[in-house]
Amino acid sequence: MNWQAFALTARLATLTALILTIIGVPVALWITFSQRRWKFLLEAVLGLPLILPPTVLGLYLLIAFGNGTVLGRWFERLTGGTLAFTFSGLVVSSVLYSMPFAVQPMVAGFRGVDRRLIDAARTLGAERWKVYSQIVLPLAWPGLLTGVMLSFAHTVGEFGVVLMVGGNIPGATRTLSIDIYDQVQALDYAAANQTALVLLLFSYTLLCVVYGLNRRTALLEPR
Amino acid sequence: MTDPQISGLMSGLQLELKKTFSSKRLHRFSLDVKFSLPPGVTVIFGPSGSGKTTILQCLAGLTTPDEGAISVGSEVLFDSRRNINLPPQQRRVGYVFQDLALFPHMTAADNVAFGIRSNGDQRTRLVRDILERFHITHLSGHRPNEISGGQRQRVALARALVTNPRLLLLDEPFSALDDDLKLAIIGDLKQWLAQNSIPVLLVTHDRSEASLLGERMLLMKDGSVVGQ
Repeated sequence: MNWQAFALTARLATLTALILTIIGVPVALWITFSQRRWKFLLEAVLGLPLILPPTVLGLYLLIAFGNGTVLGRWFERLTGGTLAFTFSGLVVSSVLYSMPFAVQPMVAGFRGVDRRLIDAARTLGAERWKVYSQIVLPLAWPGLLTGVMLSFAHTVGEFGVVLMVGGNIPGATRTLSIDIYDQVQALDYAAANQTALVLLLFSYTLLCVVYGLNRRTALLEPR
Repeated sequence: MTDPQISGLMSGLQLELKKTFSSKRLHRFSLDVKFSLPPGVTVIFGPSGSGKTTILQCLAGLTTPDEGAISVGSEVLFDSRRNINLPPQQRRVGYVFQDLALFPHMTAADNVAFGIRSNGDQRTRLVRDILERFHITHLSGHRPNEISGGQRQRVALARALVTNPRLLLLDEPFSALDDDLKLAIIGDLKQWLAQNSIPVLLVTHDRSEASLLGERMLLMKDGSVVGQ
């Protein structure tokens, strides 16, 4: 087991899930409650990583990170470095790549909140912020948690984008999934098998928690 | 206490509204009503689809009429000509929904406390008083899914009344209860109304309930008031 890759993967996934919690909740609230006609356009953009080949996304990110673009030059001026082939670059890529895995369960959670309850809260004098914080968020929390956990798990498992944007630099961009690929290339099937098994068990456990939580809250609904 | 006739003029409900709904599936439906009501319980009675709930939604600010005006006493809640349309959270209109819409993740006491603006001791006292008045003090720590249908009605009423509304709307809240329970709850409500003179609009499609509960009755059919 490559513990360096393990630690790097854990750090990447935790950071990504954290950032997606902060960005994902407002985005999901907006998608759920906005009346704008054109919001489907943004929804489609956010959903792109679900169907786009990771290499395509990775290629565009790699180009965007280079000093041929405004973003690349801006980041270089700010930090003196580039986003390509760095851990920071991986974080930015993972946030974009895992966005739908965070936002879609959150939207489902918000849509599941009975509109009547929101109406009731408003007739009781609640302003928008109180409705969100005391009614919508607490009732949608299984969806929020699912979004956070899925974005974490999805980041742990990402391969194509990491390889395109991060390359394979030990301690900086070599995650567990890249490590497995390396081991197979080196014909070390025993090591690859071990790492793969850890990832498999991790993913299964996480999904059990997600489905278990959703089952438990379903039981909380009024009779 | 104010003289009831004077307070009636001061706090009565004036309403005049028009709203047209059209969709491909449903036939066109127009609501066109005008009435004024003194404080006390008025029953709106009519078949389902006659526009009863839509009136309540317009009064609460959850639906916007195409045109018209709504005022309670001297307070204008909606006036299409003067471009006034207070949002629901500023109308102080109590609304007990057909399915009650109690917050499932909160206890009875927290449900009741939700709409109270004051904090600390006064908040605690208001909750305690209204729970006592509706005989649900012993349920204060229970969530809605842990109490009976009649008890849930009481919590919903208490939640709406504790905010001291200027108008109370009841959308068939008692339809699932037997007559004894209905009368007991409406008795508690009428006691509260004796001290707080506000108009109450109760919607029902059940004739016996209409005659049981109301002091006045409005008959609705196809979006208009056809009798009083």
